[in-house]
Amino acid sequence: MATSMISKNREQAFMSNLTPDWLKTELTTGTTIAAVEFDGGVVIGADSRTTSGAYIANRVTDKLTKITDKIYCCRSGSAADTQAVADVVKYQLNFYQMEMGEEPLVQTAAHTFKELCYDHRDNISAGIIVAGWDKKEGGQVFAVPLGGMVIRQPFAIGGSGSTYLYGYVDSQFKKNMTKEECLPFVANALSLAMNRDGSSGGIIRLAAITKDGVERVNLTGNQLPKFYEDH
Amino acid sequence: MAMKGKDCVAIAADRRFGVQAQTVSMDFDKIFEMGPHLYIGLPGLATDVQTVSQRLNFRLKMYELRENRKIKPKTFMSMVSNLLYERRFGPYFVEPVIAGLDPKTFQPFIASMDLIGCPMITDDFVVSGTCSEQMYGMCESLWEPNLEPEDLFETISQALMNAFDRDAVSGWGAVVYIIEKDKVTKRLLKTRMD
Repeated sequence: MATSMISKNREQAFMSNLTPDWLKTELTTGTTIAAVEFDGGVVIGADSRTTSGAYIANRVTDKLTKITDKIYCCRSGSAADTQAVADVVKYQLNFYQMEMGEEPLVQTAAHTFKELCYDHRDNISAGIIVAGWDKKEGGQVFAVPLGGMVIRQPFAIGGSGSTYLYGYVDSQFKKNMTKEECLPFVANALSLAMNRDGSSGGIIRLAAITKDGVERVNLTGNQLPKFYEDH
Repeated sequence: MAMKGKDCVAIAADRRFGVQAQTVSMDFDKIFEMGPHLYIGLPGLATDVQTVSQRLNFRLKMYELRENRKIKPKTFMSMVSNLLYERRFGPYFVEPVIAGLDPKTFQPFIASMDLIGCPMITDDFVVSGTCSEQMYGMCESLWEPNLEPEDLFETISQALMNAFDRDAVSGWGAVVYIIEKDKVTKRLLKTRMD
């Protein structure tokens, strides 16, 4: 912006705001998140960028948050809002687990998210994908987007980067994929979005959730799927 | 950004062209050759980048025809400043960075300008763009005086890349020009494409 060299008083009067933008803008997990079901579990993935306006506040964020041992959520939207909601849901499900004596269903987790997101829809900005495994229905993916609806889907994408992926996922998704097919499906999708969306980037964090537990993988640097030519 | 070295200058820029968060192309060049040893970098609004470079080129050609010699970098800076100040109350949204060697003495020269043409000549480095704060931090810590061309290349590349890796709307490729007395080397950097 234009440089100025005017006298102190006038300068103070109309340049009263010298704090940089990145101290004043809310942190958002701009983001690309995705989750897909397979027979026996789910694969979830996210990028790792948190932005404050255009400044990248954290380039190695973990947006895959544990809710219970077998249920995770992918967070997009306001960093504060999604962390707060996830903490509340984690607490409530932990309590539920102690009362009921068994692991909560993914459906229960998704609906708990929905309660919070819908009831506070005017005050928070949170787009969440809930995914996990339970013994009743196996692997499940539920999307809980901005207004607070819940919908179970075979695969879900979310975040600002997801707009670049609808065509790709619709053409590449096949029913009854195995875990080994789901992992590159999610990784490629995330990589394509990170390549085009300014608010997504960094590394790809993947997790595979099955009855045997959670397996986490990070794809960094040259391991990221490449869809461009070096020129 | 541009940096001064020992009898050489370097100028570098990213290659992104985007509309807010969306990246439209990754081969948008913002550094223009204005003479055999004179380069200008134009970050900012893409349409103004193109218009300013075309208008500037015209003025430069007219100067060379009238004066029958190559322009000095300092004079060129004043020419750019004049062009931008003509639009004082409806400016071009570009903040140019100039790097070059004097056509006769080959003295290194770097300068930058704000969008209405206020010139600033420095002896070390100049930066411009959306991640200027990050670039200032990188340059302050990495630059030292009298770097040889090879070292200057490393320094400017690292400064630029690490700065725009912390900016959500910059990056997607980079180009670096090292301008010496007898040659100009243009290199494309392999960067993160996110």
